[in-house]
Amino acid sequence: MQLHPLKLVTIVTEQILKDQITKKIIELGAAGVTWQEAQGTGSRGARRDAVGGGNVQIEVICPQAVAEAILTYVSHHYFENYACLAWVTDVSVVRGARYDRPA
Amino acid sequence: MDFTKILHSLGENLLTPIPMCFAHGIFCKVIHGGIKIPKELYYTIAIFLLMSIGFIGGHELAKEVKEHGIATVWQPALVTLFLGCVTPVSAFLVLRYIGRMSVADSAGIAAHYGSTSAVTYAVADAFVAQLNHPANSYLPTLVTILECPGIAIALALGAVLSKTEHAASNGENGAGLEAEPKQEGKLWEALYEVITGQSIMLMAGLLVIGFVATNFMSEKGFAPFHDFFYSKGMIFRGALCIFLLEMGLVAGERLKDLLKVGPFLIAFGILLPLVHGFFGAWLGHMAGLNIGGCTVFAAIVSSASYIAAPPAVRLTLPDANPTYSITAALAITFPFNIAFGIPIYYQMAQMVGAT
Repeated sequence: MQLHPLKLVTIVTEQILKDQITKKIIELGAAGVTWQEAQGTGSRGARRDAVGGGNVQIEVICPQAVAEAILTYVSHHYFENYACLAWVTDVSVVRGARYDRPA
Repeated sequence: MDFTKILHSLGENLLTPIPMCFAHGIFCKVIHGGIKIPKELYYTIAIFLLMSIGFIGGHELAKEVKEHGIATVWQPALVTLFLGCVTPVSAFLVLRYIGRMSVADSAGIAAHYGSTSAVTYAVADAFVAQLNHPANSYLPTLVTILECPGIAIALALGAVLSKTEHAASNGENGAGLEAEPKQEGKLWEALYEVITGQSIMLMAGLLVIGFVATNFMSEKGFAPFHDFFYSKGMIFRGALCIFLLEMGLVAGERLKDLLKVGPFLIAFGILLPLVHGFFGAWLGHMAGLNIGGCTVFAAIVSSASYIAAPPAVRLTLPDANPTYSITAALAITFPFNIAFGIPIYYQMAQMVGAT
């Protein structure tokens, strides 16, 4: 089977930022994005109750250039004031062309 | 004010199921007990409570308008709008100049206190109903009017003042950091979210539906809907108990944050609602509310929003620390109002001469 090397960007942040971040990810050239609710605790305290608003984990598979653009955007806009983590993992996918979107 | 009367009234309030469920929630959290309310149930109940408040409010409003026209309603509505604009400013001034908090934190907390809490409304309404002094029928209308302006004004205040603050500090440093891009765009976005948020949409939406249906349906046709949403207050109060249990669990979780926020904010969370509440009772009385109405009105004016305000503040004033505002609203003012505030507002309403 033919596998294609790509990047998986994972962002864990506050739920209220989900809409703006996912919109921006698509704008930056990713073909799609997946998210799910997340709970946890860390340097900015815990967000697990309905009232405080929870966390969201956003995942994107994309080419390296897009991954870098996403990380740059997220680190500039959200690292200072929001609970926000972001990291990149190397992944191998089938049907690599699906993740290439002409920007 | 007669002190023994207040004590009596406090006891009368504290030993009813709604505040006791709240206290039980806190207790359970503190001892790491096993109560867990599923999030979906919490949301379901919130939806039911908001729909019920709106629907019955719209129905009662329609009856009131049929009997008296809008003569009895416009004055309280105007007073509500006025207080909705004043309370965020007074809260901001106290936080900024007495508490010496940052512009963002002051404005963030002021947005919570300028808005209102629908649950506090529900509890206050149940309280006066238990005393056989039901509030004026149009109070739910006032709750919806009170919800938005406070948040809008505090956020605008925060956005404008922190912009000038940033500009000043940038000028001093000579560094042209592009500090606040599209601040105004964010403000409108946040306000749009508040206005189209769940609480306004459900409450105001159902208010209109209740109002229209009352006017256009036969009494017999309308009765089943009324029975479901009102159900002699039965489902509503039971649901409120479950909701308050969850609120207790959440507040209990935040108890340790009280240490972080310090004595000023604790005093603020108790004293400011009393001052706002007094003006609520007094102006409510001037606008023609009855004693139950004045009590409930004081409670909603004094209460702090913890559902609509937090996301709006988080998006518009990112450097405001949410621990301060949510702890003050949820772990200080809300419990204070439920346990002590509402009976005190009842006494205030009596004091200003409401009957």
